[in-house]
Amino acid sequence: MLLLLVSSQSFAHGVDSSSEQFLTTNQDIAIAPFLYIGAKHMVTGYDHILFLIGVIFFLFRSRDIFIYVSLFTLGHSITLLLGVLNQIQVNAYLIDAIIGFSIVYKGFDNLSGFKQIFGFQPNTKIAVLTFGLFHGLGLATKLQDFNLPEENLFINLVSFNIGVEIGQCLALLFILIIVGFWRRYRSYYLFATTSNTLLMSGGLVLIGYQLTGYFTTL
Amino acid sequence: MNSTPQPSIKSLLFACLLSIILAAIILLVAVLPAEFDIDPTGLGEKLGLTVLSKTVNDVKPSALSCSDHSTWQDTAMITVPAHKGVEYKFHVTKDEKINFSWHTASGIPLYFDFHGEPEGNTTGYFKSYKVSTDHQSSGFLAVPFTGVHGWYWENKSNQAVVIILKTQGNYRVVGLL
Repeated sequence: MLLLLVSSQSFAHGVDSSSEQFLTTNQDIAIAPFLYIGAKHMVTGYDHILFLIGVIFFLFRSRDIFIYVSLFTLGHSITLLLGVLNQIQVNAYLIDAIIGFSIVYKGFDNLSGFKQIFGFQPNTKIAVLTFGLFHGLGLATKLQDFNLPEENLFINLVSFNIGVEIGQCLALLFILIIVGFWRRYRSYYLFATTSNTLLMSGGLVLIGYQLTGYFTTL
Repeated sequence: MNSTPQPSIKSLLFACLLSIILAAIILLVAVLPAEFDIDPTGLGEKLGLTVLSKTVNDVKPSALSCSDHSTWQDTAMITVPAHKGVEYKFHVTKDEKINFSWHTASGIPLYFDFHGEPEGNTTGYFKSYKVSTDHQSSGFLAVPFTGVHGWYWENKSNQAVVIILKTQGNYRVVGLL
């Protein structure tokens, strides 16, 4: 967990430096590079991956997994496209703190925290869609940091978005292989509480990290 | 969502508490010291994590020059970043004299090469007047040819060094190269 946090910290706040160099100098239609940067962002972005793990943790049927992941995709695609096209920019630290919160929320939800403490279960589909909107706003904010040229913006943006989905599918594939394997053993259910506790913890670390970043750069 | 057994309210609260404690420990001991140099427990320093948030090369070479109305004509403050070298030059015509005196503000010695390059020369030829390692140097030079004359300083220490250079003579300041 710690190693993961330290080694991939350069990606946590957006895009790595070689991608950054490309993004700021590119003027043309560049479908493949934008596809790649989008996919890379998703595969190496542990905040999105932790959230996805939380979402599929108690989903056993492929149909459910498809529905929830589609809702998440729909949410972040809407805000990514609209955010960049309308130049909506939110503070990257704050949006990343909200993404951290989405992980805590999902871990808490998986522990039946809402039912047990507040006596009701918020709609899980709406929650995934809403947090998808925030994740997309985070992507939009990071992409706009590079002052993308107006020309060909839409095509490049759609390429980036499709790349994000490809990356998400790849990440999800790995998660499902590992989780699917583990689910065959009783330990998956025995450790369900521990796993979701760790998930919440990871989300809290992200919140603390991003909020400290926000307050130290004010 | 399905028939997975629900944890009891006790174990739920325990899980929440545990996740908060774990997150607080990770943040206070590792993330904040390594990312922001904020080290409330002092453990980050002991573990050597705080070096990650101290960037060595965030100092850029710079020079601040102004005319001096004392016996000197110009005073320049030149910053040499850690493990970097800079050149500071003057254009002087043949047989003109330049008086100089420089020292490092912190007293840290620098390797230096006081040299000149003839004007219009493209072979890379240069003539060294003095090569040494010191924290100060002064004197005067009657330049043997028209061209740019000045110093190359190399900072082999771990911290940025500021040089105060005072000059007087018939020259044109070229500045940092």
